Amino acid sequence: MSDWLAQVIDRADAVSDALTPQRQGALAVLKAQQWPTRRTEAWRYTSLHPLEDMTLPALAADTPAVPDVAGLDSIDLVFVNGALQGSLPTFPEGLTVGGLTDSAMQAVATDVFGSVKPREHLFGLVNDVLATDGVVIDVAPGAQIKPALRIVNLVTAGAEAHHRILVRVGDGAKVTVIEHGAGAGTSVNTAFAEYKIGDKAALEHYRFALHGGEAIHMGGAHFSLGDEAKLDSTLVGFGSQLSRLDYDLVHDGQHAFAKFNAVYLLGAGEHFDLHSNVEHAMPNGTTEENVRTIVGDRARAVFNGRIHIHRDAQKTLAELNNRNLLLSRGGQINTKPELVIYADDVQCAHGATVAEIDDKALYYMRSRGIDREQALVMLNFGFIQELVNEIPNEALSNWLQPLLRERFSGMQVRP
Amino acid sequence: MLTIKDLHARVEEKTILKGLNLTVNPGEVHAIMGPNGAGKSTLGYVMSGRDGYELESGSIELNGEDLMELDVEERAQKGLFLAFQYPVEIPGVSNMEFMKESVNAMRKARGEEALTAAEFLKVAKEACKQVNLPLDFLKRGVNEGFSGGEKKRNEIMQMILLQPSLAILDESDSGLDIDALKVVANGVNSQRDGKRSFIVVTHYQRLLDFIEPDFVHILSDGKIVKSGGPELAKEVEATGYAWLGKPEEAGA
Amino acid sequence: MSEQIEKAISRKYDAGFVSDIESDTFPPGLDEDVIRRISAMKDEPEWMLEWRLQAFRSWQKMKEPDWAHLGYEKIDYQAISYYSAPKSMKDKPKSLDEVDPELLRTYEKLGIPLHEQKMLAGVAVDAVFDSVSVVTTFREKLEEAGVIFCPISEAIKKYPDLVKKYIGSVVPRGDNFFAALNSAVFTDGSFVYIPKGVRCPMELSTYFRINELNTGQFERTLIVAEEGSHVSYLEGCTAPQRDENQLHAAVVELVAMDDAEIKYSTVQNWYPGDENGKGGIYNFVTKRGIAHKNAKISWTQVETGSAITWKYPSCILKGDNSVGEFYSVALTRGRQQADTGTKMIHLGKNTKSTIISKGISAGNSSNAYRGLVKMGPGADGARNFTECDSLLIGDKCAAHTFPYIESSNPTAIVEHEATTSKVSDDQLFLCQQRGLDTEKAVSMIVNGFCKEVFKELPMEFAVEAGKLLEISLEGSVG
Repeated sequence: MSDWLAQVIDRADAVSDALTPQRQGALAVLKAQQWPTRRTEAWRYTSLHPLEDMTLPALAADTPAVPDVAGLDSIDLVFVNGALQGSLPTFPEGLTVGGLTDSAMQAVATDVFGSVKPREHLFGLVNDVLATDGVVIDVAPGAQIKPALRIVNLVTAGAEAHHRILVRVGDGAKVTVIEHGAGAGTSVNTAFAEYKIGDKAALEHYRFALHGGEAIHMGGAHFSLGDEAKLDSTLVGFGSQLSRLDYDLVHDGQHAFAKFNAVYLLGAGEHFDLHSNVEHAMPNGTTEENVRTIVGDRARAVFNGRIHIHRDAQKTLAELNNRNLLLSRGGQINTKPELVIYADDVQCAHGATVAEIDDKALYYMRSRGIDREQALVMLNFGFIQELVNEIPNEALSNWLQPLLRERFSGMQVRP
Repeated sequence: MLTIKDLHARVEEKTILKGLNLTVNPGEVHAIMGPNGAGKSTLGYVMSGRDGYELESGSIELNGEDLMELDVEERAQKGLFLAFQYPVEIPGVSNMEFMKESVNAMRKARGEEALTAAEFLKVAKEACKQVNLPLDFLKRGVNEGFSGGEKKRNEIMQMILLQPSLAILDESDSGLDIDALKVVANGVNSQRDGKRSFIVVTHYQRLLDFIEPDFVHILSDGKIVKSGGPELAKEVEATGYAWLGKPEEAGA
Repeated sequence: MSEQIEKAISRKYDAGFVSDIESDTFPPGLDEDVIRRISAMKDEPEWMLEWRLQAFRSWQKMKEPDWAHLGYEKIDYQAISYYSAPKSMKDKPKSLDEVDPELLRTYEKLGIPLHEQKMLAGVAVDAVFDSVSVVTTFREKLEEAGVIFCPISEAIKKYPDLVKKYIGSVVPRGDNFFAALNSAVFTDGSFVYIPKGVRCPMELSTYFRINELNTGQFERTLIVAEEGSHVSYLEGCTAPQRDENQLHAAVVELVAMDDAEIKYSTVQNWYPGDENGKGGIYNFVTKRGIAHKNAKISWTQVETGSAITWKYPSCILKGDNSVGEFYSVALTRGRQQADTGTKMIHLGKNTKSTIISKGISAGNSSNAYRGLVKMGPGADGARNFTECDSLLIGDKCAAHTFPYIESSNPTAIVEHEATTSKVSDDQLFLCQQRGLDTEKAVSMIVNGFCKEVFKELPMEFAVEAGKLLEISLEGSVG
């Protein structure tokens, strides 16, 4: 057990609120946890030394600005270092929102807390026991919520923050939730979100992990899908000193459809680790997953994409595509797509590539007078752009394009 | 303008072009016809410098310059344009971005100022209209999800934007219905200005009803075996290629 | 439909007979004394014994790996006998005429006649029975070409410098739990040496047979191909049908010097256990080759047997332009479990690797591909292509894919694809409509699925492998 984990457990004992009964179970599991090493399969390519060795600077006095997304129709909830800023706005009919431990939200909170997120995520357990801040969202059955609900989670230099989002989307309801993480300076945060998507319900989901290069960010998003439920989820991440995200997509109902696109661009020396796990527990489900990374100088991208088809999940369609570009020497890509299949009448495939260049496209572009270097840059960025184009929300797509382009142009291309 | 002398070229280990000679003067339209496997597409690829298409002997000069010494993009910048038979899809790179980059690369090579986004948009919209493509095609990925006809029209649109001195149209008629064929032909005809030259590669005479060639050449087994005026195309239409004494499948 | 398929794949194991041969077998148990006795039986030099003992000492400190997707009862290493040899082999027969006819009959029954005149022309065979090599054929003919092909126990005595130089150079004795165990207790196996510039005039092959009850087989094979040489080698394995599990832990090391080529093929048909998972061989194998400049190492395996297969034939592509290949068919049925794949470690510039893996799962079996493609910082322009396809037959089996990709070079290209499919009703219907029965149809579909791998096998063995699959899928269709 590391000192870091020991102090988490010490502090957890002191937490006492409405969710304490739920937290107790997690704490027991946490106490029995082994601190991961490179021999721990889930942490094979991600070292926790930055967390163990970190000393937080003094807490920064000024609050960072809330990132503005032009033209976005949204209701914003802004959290700084875990704490909600201002009071709750009013919400449209069918949407009920409250703090994590608000008594009015307790039924929803206890229903969702720990029901979607698997217990095996170490930092999920940390979040279970320490996250006293956060938000609970209940979308009434059949409600079609037009404005997006944007949860801005700002972390300032010197801060340690633990944030939790619990969402229940009622049967036949429709909602968009944006988890917008941002920050600057050295900090530690965990941010986990659980979504229970009801029968025939639809969730459009975004997560932006833009905490800055100095941050340590551990988080996850976990979804369960009911019958004919629909999930369209997009993750955009820039690296940081240490970032680890766990995604779980669970088909608990039949005929559900899940789409998950992830893009991460890592600048110099950054680390980003994404583990996604798709559980097809029921028949007739569909999953489409696309993960693309661009890795700059001395950066490291880690991806583990597991698709698990349970014995009875016949007629499943599941596809995972992972593509990676390594821009310079000293960078590293570690990827492992996994298929674990127990049903025969399924169509499952995965593909992973590193630094694959489409020679035909390159020739085509050059035949139009564009020089090789420039054509490569365009193709490389096009590879990210392709997923951005699939984002259903136009305002977010327009906001992301220049952001990604700027990030990309700042990355060191081939020596 | 274009002088091809005794061109021998191979793809991988196989020699496809076996002594091809062709001279194209400014403003002329040359049609190259021939059976499948005669080497029609190979000619365009060799001229544009595609990887894997190797010159064995002979020469290709464009405006007095030896093309074979140049990179693919340099040949394009010298005014060579190839309209592809099967244009590749490039998802994620928008048509607009691609064409702007391309137009400005040409301008730069000619020592001209780059177009601003607004200036480019204006000419792009005009070109779009000319080939009857909706404006939202500019926003889509290059050829991504385009139908066969849309891809061909997109090629012609690029030609209009890039203003080459020599355009090679590689079977730009294949797979087109009559309306699309007219759009392609009109696009080409609008660019005939007495200086710009064209090589129209086609299997069928049909396209030549709309783009009237000055010369017609029959390519067979890597060589031009017969040349003549537009009447030669009509002759081929009537008799087929059987008189060449080779099965259609011969060659690559 | 699926019931018919199930029937079609219920198998019969042809090699399951026991030969009635009197053997000298060590009592079960493993300690330094046992290792000293093995070494003494083999009349080994002191350095070899010392090497074994060091391996044993590191093994004692190691933990049995548990990361593979396999479930089996813990192996009791003290309940295994580590040496067994036919009594008749004690006096080291000088020619085939002196070999116990029962031994020869065993091989004949397995389709491996050891009389040279009866054999496939162009194939030399080393026959290993439990812990000893019975005979190695065509030795003179090979010697003319300068090729050494002999039991490793003999090579240790006759060519100590060569063995000393290369043994453990690719798979170090402490490499992993099973390799360390093998290094301590290995009994026999083949040694191959191809001198510079020589193209080995015939296919080399070793045939492994486990016969004795409660023994383990721990063979060790070492193949050294000097600069510009070429060799094709094949191994086959079978064992009697028994209710007890038996351990097989082998080590194979390949050294391909500059411009050399080694082609290593395996047709593995150890006893897989019965339908209920009783008995069968536990097959834990470490195979690895190192390829120097412009060298090529090609692994081809057809794995149909064993209750447990744990095996990852690998290539270290050290030299620039070296090439590694892995072609694999793994068929599991009944309660068989396989966790197999490869590692391609690209170190040199412009190194290339190809991985084609075909997994077929039927019955209640579990079949996993596990592979690693690593592009080192110096692997400029390196390329890998991997294709892993799984075919599931029936709804009680499992197929898994665990590919690890690690790249640290921006100019290296890695492509990995994996798919799963089943024998579809449409395919079966088409075959049946054309007059084929289910059994034949399934076998045809499976053979088609494996074609890419079969074509990599040496001709004589491609036929054998095809037949093996057919037998494996054979059964009565009601």
